[in-house]
Amino acid sequence: MVRFENVGMRYGLGPEVLRDINFHLRPGSFHFLTGPTGAGKSSLLKLLALSHRPSRGLITLFNKEVSGLARDDLPAMRRKIGVVFQDFRLLDHLSALENVALPLKIAGAKNAQIYQHVAELLEWVGLGRQVDAKPPTLSGGEKQRVAIARAVINRPQLLIADEPTGSMDAEMGLRLMYLFQELNKIGTTVVVATHDLELIKRFGNPVMYLKDGLLTTSGPEQSPAQSGRAET
Amino acid sequence: MMQLFGKSAELQLEKDVSTRYLPVVISAMIFLAALSIGGLFSLNNAINDWSETLTGNLTVEIAFDPTADLDQKVLDAVELLTNTPGVAAARAIERDETLKLLEPFLGKNTALGDLPVPRLIEVIIAQDSAIDLAALNDKLSESVAGARLDIHRPWLDKMVLLGRSIQLLAATIMLLIGGVTVIIVIFAVRTGLIMHSEVIQVLHLIGARDNYIAEQFQNYFSRLSFLGALPGLVVAIIVMFVFNFLVGSLEASMLPPLSVGIEGIIALLLLPILVALLTKYTVRLVVLKSLGRMM
Ligand SMILES: Nc1ncnc2c1ncn2[C@@H]1O[C@H](COP(=O)(O)OP(=O)(O)OP(=O)(O)O)[C@@H](O)[C@H]1O
Ligand SMILES: [Mg+2]
Repeated sequence: MVRFENVGMRYGLGPEVLRDINFHLRPGSFHFLTGPTGAGKSSLLKLLALSHRPSRGLITLFNKEVSGLARDDLPAMRRKIGVVFQDFRLLDHLSALENVALPLKIAGAKNAQIYQHVAELLEWVGLGRQVDAKPPTLSGGEKQRVAIARAVINRPQLLIADEPTGSMDAEMGLRLMYLFQELNKIGTTVVVATHDLELIKRFGNPVMYLKDGLLTTSGPEQSPAQSGRAET
Repeated sequence: MMQLFGKSAELQLEKDVSTRYLPVVISAMIFLAALSIGGLFSLNNAINDWSETLTGNLTVEIAFDPTADLDQKVLDAVELLTNTPGVAAARAIERDETLKLLEPFLGKNTALGDLPVPRLIEVIIAQDSAIDLAALNDKLSESVAGARLDIHRPWLDKMVLLGRSIQLLAATIMLLIGGVTVIIVIFAVRTGLIMHSEVIQVLHLIGARDNYIAEQFQNYFSRLSFLGALPGLVVAIIVMFVFNFLVGSLEASMLPPLSVGIEGIIALLLLPILVALLTKYTVRLVVLKSLGRMM
């Protein structure tokens, strides 16, 4: 599903923020990605989201080597990936409903189907009354839920979430984690970056630990520090 | 049309202050272009008229002389000409017809009847004949007093050359206008791309094709161009009408009124559509090229 081989990444001419990253995610797996702030979690997820290119190494997504992809192949691939960005990246002039509907619209779905489906999802994440609100008028947690709804609306095969529950209370956070778990049960591969150790403990999924641009992978029961590089 | 004028839903280009000047500039460009087209087609028609009346023809002019029998002189000259090898036909032009020919130069209402108008004979040269015009002129003036062979060609050639030069100028102006329009559009689009780079990136990341983004840009900008073109065109047409009115009110004028003909009218009406299409494809090219550099 996802394979990183000796991947390094840098921004422009800056230092490498990711070094020698190696891992493999099986289809249908659910991983947490954690590590201190500035460790490179968001950067790694940007590589997964096909938002940035690695400066070295090989990334394989859906059995295709990413650097070998033609520009025309990227959109089709990105439509199989749902991303919750750390900074949400909602379009401010569109309503919550339109924001969430956007991936479907871009993929060419018919209007009538779209809005029924989207309204239901927004209802489910507790934004039934904010469907017409524009992101600047929403609270942080509400924006985050819109971003999550947008990421899952087209049933992605790979779901990437960067601190998806950072801006909301524990109860709502759990609710959304259960949503991810449900999606995972129907086959979605999930990667969630988080600082929330409580959450990691509670769900017990395998953890990838990033520090200073280096990655270690471990099972839930091990402490991150002592783990080796594991295939999961 | 719906497709052409669709809204740029996600990019909200409508809200950009930076592109609001574009219709005004396009309007000015179309105004100039319409005037150029007006000049181009009117001149073309005028040149065709001149050529039609004057090509292949020579005129023999018999000077006005109140004491002589001009009709007799005309008859003599016609006979001499008809018997000259290389002349296909010679025909006396009636006095009324002569006055009509002079009308554009002297005006309509003048009491031309009293003017000392020379008598004219139209001479048609046989094709492929090498005729010595100078010798013919000598022979004419010898046998008919006051007769003179008038060769239009040099004058006509100069008029046509002048007309064609002005046409060339008008065409160059059209090209310049097109070029400047393209450059203005390119700058406007580049600004738009930079201002909306965040949204464009998000659209890409949720799976939008370059084409999807390019369409929003090209629809918006071609709409701006089209809407800007209309007032420019209307004002230009009004200006041409006013010009024609002024020319028409002159008693005597060398200036022909602007008459663009049916092709000219079609060209004028196509102008807004052409500028919209020019904008559309310029925008498309610029956007696709610059998106190609993004991941
Ligand atoms: N756009 C950028 N340009 C240059 N450097 C960047 C950019 N984004 C991140 N970095 C740098 O890359 C390193 C890793 O950043 P990243 O955002 O991946 O960390 P993170 O693990 O997600 O941190 P956090 O937990 O605070 O979200 C940091 O040192 C940061 O300064
Ligand atoms: Mg981060």
